[in-house]
Amino acid sequence: MDSRTVSHIIPSGGNYRLAAEKAVSEALAKSNLPMENAVPVVATGYGANSIPSAHIVTDISCHAKGTSHLLPSARTAIDIGDMFTRVIRLDSEGRATSFLSSGICAGGSGRVLQVIAHVLRVRLEDIGELSLKSQNRVNFHTSCAVFAETETVSRVAEGTLKEDVLAGLHRALAAQIQSLVERLGVERDCALVGGGAKDIGLVKSLEEVMGLKLLVHEEPQIVAALGAALIAREKADRS
Amino acid sequence: MTKVVIMNEEIIASLVRVTTPEQRRLANKVMEEALERANFSFDEITYVVATGYGRINVAFADKQVTEISCHARGVASLIPTVRTIIDIGGQDCKGIKLSAGKVVNFVMNDKCAAGTGRFLEITARALGVKLEEIGKLSLTSRKPVEISSTCTVFAEQEVVTKLAEGIPLSDILAGLHQAIASRILTMVSRVRIEREVVVTGGGAKNVGLVRALESRLGFPVLIPPDPLLTGAIGAALLGRDAAEKAQKEGLPLAKRQRRLEEVELFA
Repeated sequence: MDSRTVSHIIPSGGNYRLAAEKAVSEALAKSNLPMENAVPVVATGYGANSIPSAHIVTDISCHAKGTSHLLPSARTAIDIGDMFTRVIRLDSEGRATSFLSSGICAGGSGRVLQVIAHVLRVRLEDIGELSLKSQNRVNFHTSCAVFAETETVSRVAEGTLKEDVLAGLHRALAAQIQSLVERLGVERDCALVGGGAKDIGLVKSLEEVMGLKLLVHEEPQIVAALGAALIAREKADRS
Repeated sequence: MTKVVIMNEEIIASLVRVTTPEQRRLANKVMEEALERANFSFDEITYVVATGYGRINVAFADKQVTEISCHARGVASLIPTVRTIIDIGGQDCKGIKLSAGKVVNFVMNDKCAAGTGRFLEITARALGVKLEEIGKLSLTSRKPVEISSTCTVFAEQEVVTKLAEGIPLSDILAGLHQAIASRILTMVSRVRIEREVVVTGGGAKNVGLVRALESRLGFPVLIPPDPLLTGAIGAALLGRDAAEKAQKEGLPLAKRQRRLEEVELFA
């Protein structure tokens, strides 16, 4: 069996079904493979319900599976996504044994990074490096993304440097994630997955707050989808 | 918002201005403007009380008092039968419980924008409707739509998607008002809501929100004539109380050395 992996990421937008169709057809185009109707497809994530004829598997299971595949020593995965932050404990087989999720709050998820990057007019992919330059981190007084936006505007008006705002933001988000991690308990190794793992400022800040080294794969955003594909392949092998 | 009230027996001048990040400079500016309206010089003002988030940024105030005390004093003077105040601002939301005009308990949310007026400000902007119009528009709804996001940031996205799906604007707005009314009342019920209930702050100017609150409460609420000003009126009354007390007891009024001048920013 051909065990190549092809991945593709596009923004979800408002219509999950259209986004899914587009992502699949673009990924297939990349891979030069035809779409075979008989192949099992697993959908996961917030919009999984909108994908017709797919098996739906929770993103917890998919994250555990994908993390375990890429980083076999991981026993804890922290997923920092656009809507949630999740902490997942997993066994050596890539099965999720327990998890905790933040409420759907932009302040506790990766969304706050997008909101603040936008206010500061810094590209999302640049905030991590910029944050690491900070010499004088600000202290954020809020964990709400909306109020953090207001606070950022005030700070910038006062003449605070962008890197100091970002370092403060990373610290505040790291502290919030740490409190979620503490509630579940962490077992090493601990991996960081999801889009948030691409932000080096957040990774460093979390490592500092948690007092441990985090495992980060070079493609952290694809982990849940990879997990879904692995589960789909298992289904295909069984049938 | 930044508000000024100058009063003796009654209100001589008042004004409301948008709060900007440079609060110290702003405080001077609004005070000067209010003095001009009242046709008073700064030296003629006996006592100045500052309140609210930025109260420490009012360099010329004789005294700083919490907004809870000021709201209570202001509302109780306007509506003496008040037992519960629901103050809905753009920065926070408060529930204040009074007994015989005195504060006995309060709850506040300043942690999450979703329970404050900011929620409506942001979603109105996302929908392209003026804040002052959303209340009226929401009342024309026949079938309020349920807003599933709690977080303001995600609700902003949700309402834009719903509008694109063809759901009438009025139904979305009605859904937003119901959602925030429910969150506010859940919080305020922690101090046990009792009549009369007075709604203040910018939220009181939104008829859609007021109706949504009333329909959940099952009885009408009262709105003061200038719902944005109750905190500032309370501050002015507390200032007057202090001046009258000093005069009655023949004691000097504890005042600060104060000048109304350009302050160095962020010094």
